[in-house]
Amino acid sequence: MTDEQQLKLQAFLDGELTAGDVRAVEAWLARDSAAAALLSELQHTRSALAGFERPETAGASSTAAAVKCPESREFYWSKIKREIERTTPAAGSAPVRTESLFARLRRTLIPLSAAAVLAIVGLVTLRQYSAGDRAIAVNSMLADAGAFTYRDEAQGMTVVWLSYPAENKFAQKSSGVTLSPK
Amino acid sequence: MRPGLICATLLFALAVFLVPSARAATGDVTIEAQLIWGTNEKPDPKLKAAEPKLAAKFKNSPFKWDHYCEMHREKLKLKLNEEKTVTMSPNCVISITSLGDEQVKFKLFGKGKLANTVSQALPKGQLLITGGDAENSTAWFVVLQQVE
Repeated sequence: MTDEQQLKLQAFLDGELTAGDVRAVEAWLARDSAAAALLSELQHTRSALAGFERPETAGASSTAAAVKCPESREFYWSKIKREIERTTPAAGSAPVRTESLFARLRRTLIPLSAAAVLAIVGLVTLRQYSAGDRAIAVNSMLADAGAFTYRDEAQGMTVVWLSYPAENKFAQKSSGVTLSPK
Repeated sequence: MRPGLICATLLFALAVFLVPSARAATGDVTIEAQLIWGTNEKPDPKLKAAEPKLAAKFKNSPFKWDHYCEMHREKLKLKLNEEKTVTMSPNCVISITSLGDEQVKFKLFGKGKLANTVSQALPKGQLLITGGDAENSTAWFVVLQQVE
């Protein structure tokens, strides 16, 4: 039997175990005669010492403290460990974080919107640059030698004026329709 | 304003910026071509007046004409490197090619002969106008602009 098992048995006797551990120790005692014997011995020792150990009070003398049965260091720390284990909830029973869908969405949206702001600023800047470049990118191949190109930045328009023969009838809707009111 | 609403608005704004950029990057553009007639005489009431916005642009330009009439209008959806030809009037045929990145190549044919070729970026809001003199001190214009 290991020290750990002995300490557990002592804790069982002192009523310091959790309900689950109590059931486990009871099952262990039922199948292990050595453990049952040790428990019996501990019970006898405890009953024999009963009455000799007095509670330590503020006004107690040093003699009274000396009567108290000293605990071993291992048992002292094992009690602390068990107490911690008892008060700490098991991993399986950890409380579930109740976060609303909106909160999760917002947590996702905030970095996304930061990226969106950067992208918008980048796109706007890029567009301004590219629009500026493209505004002057006029390549006119004029079959008409008398033609010229005029660019009006304020109006946002490029005009190519052709010295095409005036009788070209370009604007005529269909043959036979005279546009001029005259 | 709630943070969630701000975030959603920003994402929507990004989408608004990205969608046209993505379309432009693919070379898909829709070009509207109008044949405009400019005259100083009061035109036939049966003729359709040019859109006020366009007429205002003409009037703010060095052009001298008082009235602008829309003779024909065509809308051309072009994919990258696609060329489309359209007849604007019996004597005016145009051909437009999408070169990608909102660049277009415009060819003007008069009476079956190539009169002019222009390659230019045509972002939304910009106009490419080709014009010339017509009979009786009037003028014709082919106006190109990018539309949805």
